[in-house]
Amino acid sequence: MKTKAINNTYTLSELADSVVFKNTLSIEEAKEAAEQLAEARKKNRDNFTESQKLYAKVLQLRFLMEDYAKSEVYNDELSFAFFLKQYIKLSYKINKYFANDINLKETELSLILNRHRLPNEKTIVRLELHSSNTIPAISWYRVLEKEKEFQLQANTKFKQKQNRFVKNRLQFD
Amino acid sequence: MNITYLKTGEKKDVIIELVKDPDYKGIKKNKYHFNWNGEKSNTVFKLRLLDDKEILGLVSLKEFPTEKRIEISLLASSVDNTGKNKIYEGIAGALIAHACREAIKLFAIDACVSLTPKTKLKKHYIEKYGMKDAGKQVYLDLDCIINFVNKYEI
Repeated sequence: MKTKAINNTYTLSELADSVVFKNTLSIEEAKEAAEQLAEARKKNRDNFTESQKLYAKVLQLRFLMEDYAKSEVYNDELSFAFFLKQYIKLSYKINKYFANDINLKETELSLILNRHRLPNEKTIVRLELHSSNTIPAISWYRVLEKEKEFQLQANTKFKQKQNRFVKNRLQFD
Repeated sequence: MNITYLKTGEKKDVIIELVKDPDYKGIKKNKYHFNWNGEKSNTVFKLRLLDDKEILGLVSLKEFPTEKRIEISLLASSVDNTGKNKIYEGIAGALIAHACREAIKLFAIDACVSLTPKTKLKKHYIEKYGMKDAGKQVYLDLDCIINFVNKYEI
């Protein structure tokens, strides 16, 4: 539909409710628009509270976790431990204090962060509660599941070890 | 995230996904107001109900990493969901909320979502979505983005 035709069919309020038109600016206009926007944003920036800034960082981490968990790609660096380290760094300088706040032994936290142990459900739920539900337990859980899926798939030695425990296997022609 | 079925007032869960090449075959101007093929160089998302494949709305986003900003280049609810006889309420809002999600994901505290409105529509975007006025553009930055994320339960 041409812009003119849309304008004749709907009221302005209806349009704003459903449509954003493409509005191509000339190079000069685009430059001016960018400067105006930068200036306006600069003025507002000082008004953001520390709480809003922390919330934005926690949300960013949540969205990164969720998109990674959903993606088809496995990246060994993007482990549960990696995301947990990022989360702790947002508001703690010392891991011990964080461990204390979620009632976890410092050694247990250290084992999780160094990927020597996977977290249990209690820990995952406490993470949700610690973030005031900003990062739901399910988002943590999905990252963990992805890691476990890959480990199971890749651990051929473990699979070979189990071989001798299975008998009467299904037979197919 | 959800939109409202206007006939009953019922909230319906929606999903927003990337538009892939084969999708463009079904995205026609007579159903989605514009020619969307021209948006292939941007990141285009589609909105649909959780249990239905039909696309109810589209948004084309362009990233400006050096400015830490995402621009809404084009957005449309389907023709059936535009105007006084629309079926669902909140499609455009949900798509803008998704742009906010992408901006937060990329830029955290510096996140910004902007659009360059037609002059006549500018005040409507400001009133309807709480956008801020920056002359030629209107925009959402951190405080407004947080409101959007919370309002649309992203």
